[in-house]
Amino acid sequence: MSYYDVDAILTDSEKVPCKFELEIAQLGYLDNDPAQPLKTGTTVGLPLWLAELLALANRAPSSSDEDAKSFVSLNLPPALSNEVMSALKADPRAVPLRDQSHNFYGLGTRMLDLFEEAEICAILRKTFVTRAADIALHARKAGGAEDLGAIAGEDFVRGMEEWERLLFKNAHDGVKGTKAWMEGVKKH
Amino acid sequence: MALPLPTGLVPTEVAFLCEMEMVTIVPRQRLESITLLSGKTPALRPPHRAELPLWLALLLKKQRRANIVPPPWLLPASLQDLVNQETNIDPEAFSPPPPPPMRSDGYGAAHSYTQHSTNPADVVLAPPFLPSCTQGAPSGYLPYHWLEMAETLLAHAADDIPGAADARALLRDLQEVRAAKMRGSTRHLEGGGGVLNLRGVGAMELAESRGFVLGIVDGVRKLGASVEASRREEEEEEREGGGGGGDSDDEMEF
Repeated sequence: MSYYDVDAILTDSEKVPCKFELEIAQLGYLDNDPAQPLKTGTTVGLPLWLAELLALANRAPSSSDEDAKSFVSLNLPPALSNEVMSALKADPRAVPLRDQSHNFYGLGTRMLDLFEEAEICAILRKTFVTRAADIALHARKAGGAEDLGAIAGEDFVRGMEEWERLLFKNAHDGVKGTKAWMEGVKKH
Repeated sequence: MALPLPTGLVPTEVAFLCEMEMVTIVPRQRLESITLLSGKTPALRPPHRAELPLWLALLLKKQRRANIVPPPWLLPASLQDLVNQETNIDPEAFSPPPPPPMRSDGYGAAHSYTQHSTNPADVVLAPPFLPSCTQGAPSGYLPYHWLEMAETLLAHAADDIPGAADARALLRDLQEVRAAKMRGSTRHLEGGGGVLNLRGVGAMELAESRGFVLGIVDGVRKLGASVEASRREEEEEEREGGGGGGDSDDEMEF
């Protein structure tokens, strides 16, 4: 992953629900209540890079106690909630992943690094592989003269997230190159 | 920053390499042997057939000095068999690549080329050194450069190919069937095996699907990275528990 990878930077700024484990003065504006301190147990959406640091950092670094609490406790973001997972389990093609998150798989891998969720991992992998076959089909048909206007899978193409868009572009480039050569072979 | 070129060969480069393949021609004029970098070409004496690289054969064909004999697998009957093989007989795998060339010894037995050579390492049985597009190529098997060879011959030497229109239509079918298989083959990655069987896939098809296949393998690897890491750790612990604490230096072992 490159330092300049825009998708990685955008994935870092995805909001993750965090429950604060202690009361913090003057942070009430995060919960739309600037007059009050931020109460213990409030759930606030924090960007992934901040949430990860706060969740993994130890509140009392001097004590080597395993049970020392961190500042916040992480939850799975709504994009990886149970509803989305069961929808994906039912039919991966029918879910517009882009509506869940622009970097759905990127977010998924980051969360899987933090949580041990073998089931989510299996579902994500199945989703990716199943949708990839459709992506290749659309990449092959896209730009063809016959299906201009009414593309059957228009909704599907719009629902692709960033990894899938990259895959679509790569697949389409290959098909385009072959097609260009085949049309050019007659000319010389 | 990364070089903006795609990894691997692009379709035009594959087509260029395909021009090294040998094809059979029937010369219409005498032509003495030419010394090329790749060796001497045979002297052309009509009506004896000769084998030339595709680029030279096309040059002679355009100058009306020769006719190209299409490889047997390019005839409509053979292509029809192949389409049948791909769609009905084995709708899962690609049709197998041609068998290694055999040579009869005159006593009714067949030997592979390597047995006749004094040094088996001299004979390289890989494209473009395999005579896969000449007259003697087996019918009913697609060689490595099938798509580009067929397209080139149909574009420039269509009058030499019997049933060129049928062959063109059957090639389109074949191409679509195999592209669909390539798309479908990725579902074997779902279990995390990480292995794709690409036996019998042609050079142009590889160039076409390289970006897609690499992308999907990479994606599956990234999605499974955390589970893989925890599995490695577990194995490590098991081994240390069973083996009485091994060195931490041998982590690279699989």
